[in-house]
Amino acid sequence: MTNKKVVKTTCRMCGTLCGIDAHIENNKVVHIEGNKDNILNKGRLCIKGSSAVTWLNHPDRIYKPLKKNDQGEFEEIELEQAMDEIAEKLMELQKKYAPNAIGVWKGEGIDFAQQEELARRWIHSVGSPNYFSNDTQCFASRYLSFNLVYGCWPQADYENSKMIINWGTNAPVSHSYWMQQINEGREKGATLVVIDTRYTDIARQADIYIQIKPGTDAALAWGIMREMIRRDEIDHEFIDNFTVGFEQLKAYAEQFTFEKVYEITGVQGKDITRIVDAIAKARPSVSSWAGTGLEHQTNGVNSIRAVTMIDALSGSVDRKGGMKTPKGLGMRGLTIYDEKPLLELKPVGADRYPVLYERRQECHTLMLMDQIISEKPYPIKGLVMTAANPVLTNANSNKVEEALSKLDLLVVKDLFITETGKMADYILPAASYLEREEIFSNSAKQAAFITGKYIDNGLQTEYELFKGLADRMGSGEYFQWKNDHEVNEWLLEPTGYTVADLKTNPSGFIFGEYEYEKHRVKASNGEKPFNTPSGKVELFSQYLVEKGIKGLDGIPEYHDPSYMETKNTEYPFLLITGARVQKYFHGRYRNIPQLYKSDPHGYLEMHPEDAKELGVNNNDRIKISSRVGSLETYARVMHEKEIMRGVVQHTHGYAKENINRLTYDDVTDPISGFPALKSVQIKIEKID
Amino acid sequence: MKIITMDTTKCVGCRNCELACAYMNSNTSCERTYSKIRVNHYIDEQTLIPLTCLHCEEAWCLNVCPAAAISRDENTGAVIIDSDKCAGCKMCILACPYGNIQFDEKDLVSTKCNLCEGNPRCVGHCVGAALNYEDVESFNERARKKVDRKIMDAIKHQCKSMEVENDK
Repeated sequence: MTNKKVVKTTCRMCGTLCGIDAHIENNKVVHIEGNKDNILNKGRLCIKGSSAVTWLNHPDRIYKPLKKNDQGEFEEIELEQAMDEIAEKLMELQKKYAPNAIGVWKGEGIDFAQQEELARRWIHSVGSPNYFSNDTQCFASRYLSFNLVYGCWPQADYENSKMIINWGTNAPVSHSYWMQQINEGREKGATLVVIDTRYTDIARQADIYIQIKPGTDAALAWGIMREMIRRDEIDHEFIDNFTVGFEQLKAYAEQFTFEKVYEITGVQGKDITRIVDAIAKARPSVSSWAGTGLEHQTNGVNSIRAVTMIDALSGSVDRKGGMKTPKGLGMRGLTIYDEKPLLELKPVGADRYPVLYERRQECHTLMLMDQIISEKPYPIKGLVMTAANPVLTNANSNKVEEALSKLDLLVVKDLFITETGKMADYILPAASYLEREEIFSNSAKQAAFITGKYIDNGLQTEYELFKGLADRMGSGEYFQWKNDHEVNEWLLEPTGYTVADLKTNPSGFIFGEYEYEKHRVKASNGEKPFNTPSGKVELFSQYLVEKGIKGLDGIPEYHDPSYMETKNTEYPFLLITGARVQKYFHGRYRNIPQLYKSDPHGYLEMHPEDAKELGVNNNDRIKISSRVGSLETYARVMHEKEIMRGVVQHTHGYAKENINRLTYDDVTDPISGFPALKSVQIKIEKID
Repeated sequence: MKIITMDTTKCVGCRNCELACAYMNSNTSCERTYSKIRVNHYIDEQTLIPLTCLHCEEAWCLNVCPAAAISRDENTGAVIIDSDKCAGCKMCILACPYGNIQFDEKDLVSTKCNLCEGNPRCVGHCVGAALNYEDVESFNERARKKVDRKIMDAIKHQCKSMEVENDK
């Protein structure tokens, strides 16, 4: 008899977290479509979401642990044996070198909620502070930027917005349901401004599209702020009562005249006027968002800070249609930083990037590679990775491969044998998002979502991995729960809700009504209106001044991107990397045949005039090189409107055309430590 | 009766609709050649037009088919080609004023949108909500709301300028 069910759960093919109806027959998913009742995506799903059926049932999926033998081949072993051996080797390394000689690395393939915190909890429980993740190349920089200004992770209130400004972010590809929200706002009359070097999907519907030189966004933001101040299109009441540093901001903005902004960014004064005209009409309902286009630059944090200050000056902070500063569900956390900070054990990168470490407790993945190779200031010999594929996704892949091959122990947990998995000593099969129970919360919508173990392949969950290692390594006291369900009940306890409560509405369990302008209520109750050191929105950050980062002040100053500082005749083109495509998510899903057929290889997007000068036609084979590496790829000649002259773009994640062979790991943002993945100087040669 | 409606002011050309339609029809590939819905992007004009079969009430393709391979689905109202009956004469392709019927070069038959038995995949994959599967009435309601908002803005604006005039 066929056992059929349709479950409402959350898609985890990317981090956007759309609601899905998963049709399951006999313990196998047979069909996935958007859940029409879901409050976020309202039944709509991108192609990755529905293609998960092929991915999850893929014949190449691994169900048994693999161990590399002396010939370098993988052999299947039992899970218990794998766990025993891994735990033993980790303990040996800690004994032989030091407790901090091992680390854990969480990839984007799992999530940012409790799965991430379990990794953090485990590594500290066994005495090492070295937690790494994908976040130090995506997200953490934006988090720091917004957090420095507002003291929280804000959300653009697109549906109610009167003006939406998107900087270096392409919602339909990167955050699919945001596009519905943006369109809802536009339908009600919102003006859409898109600022991007590339003419992206979302730019095609922009009322104002600004093509800007890479990495110069902060100069434009300052030009806009100067003009807002000059025309007095700012919210004095909000600025006076709820911000610090306006006078410093005003003084610094003075220099960003139309002429200067044009010289730096290539954006004309009349475009700034058009933007400020729109702000004047829309304020205080202006919502801006910045994407990786800004954070993958040497001035990333300050660019994002400057951009969001436009919203602050317009008085749109936590106003309807502005930038929401949401209150969370109030769940417990799993990290043990208070109990076991382990700072004396020198978390990798904490010295050099103190803001990143203090505010995100993220160790630095790029410095890790140097440290594995040099063993300075101390050796790192063992890594446990879950759902990460840094061989494809970290800057400077050649160095990543060199470093990982030097490890005494590399453990990779994943659904497939990835490029990084191939380098591992052990590969552990991972449970998918239909095979575990987890809680997601969306504070902007005041909603929580629960998933469940709807399919059981007998695979180890993240919780079972870390509990299993902790039990074997003597820190089992930190993992007393039987399974992830018990963890979830414990996490929910202070909220007054249970997993069963959340299950009453898998399309979005609403835990509260959104309250705007919470800062006013807090101020009248004598509380800090914002969770920043000053309690106010920080246009100037004394905290940053005190960090003493060379060349930086408390104001989000504009600094030229690295490529402008060093003109380079050997590598005359400027490469931006990391623009996503619909079908893939970073290093994943090239093994889904229907998607792969529609997008079988990487390609370099270029301006038609540049192509002409190089004598290159569409789909020609080309060789591209930077000072750290080179590769062969294909040319994609774009429309002249789609990319600036002299600038080229290559998407990451293709194994053969792995663009991270060209990206630098040594040109970084001094605050976040993010690599300048969108400022790589390269040369292009035609292959005859 | 529900139809697929298309809002050109919301389409960003992400092509999720094409990818999903292609896979629905081929079961092997998301390549655009298999898709029955096509988004045309006129970059110089900053215009995007997603279009698939409109399932005309007086369907010229259906009327012209000499093999009687084209019929109307009773439940969905979709105009459907029976590939077993199709002779590959291409008359339907010539008859369609919108260019919405394709020719399968492998099986040598005409192919077109069949509304996926009332669950069109293109709509389910339209992440910007430019495509909807809805009644004419609900489409009109949304179109009206949009216009009403504009009229309201204009009235408010006019009233404001009148107030200013009166102040003088």
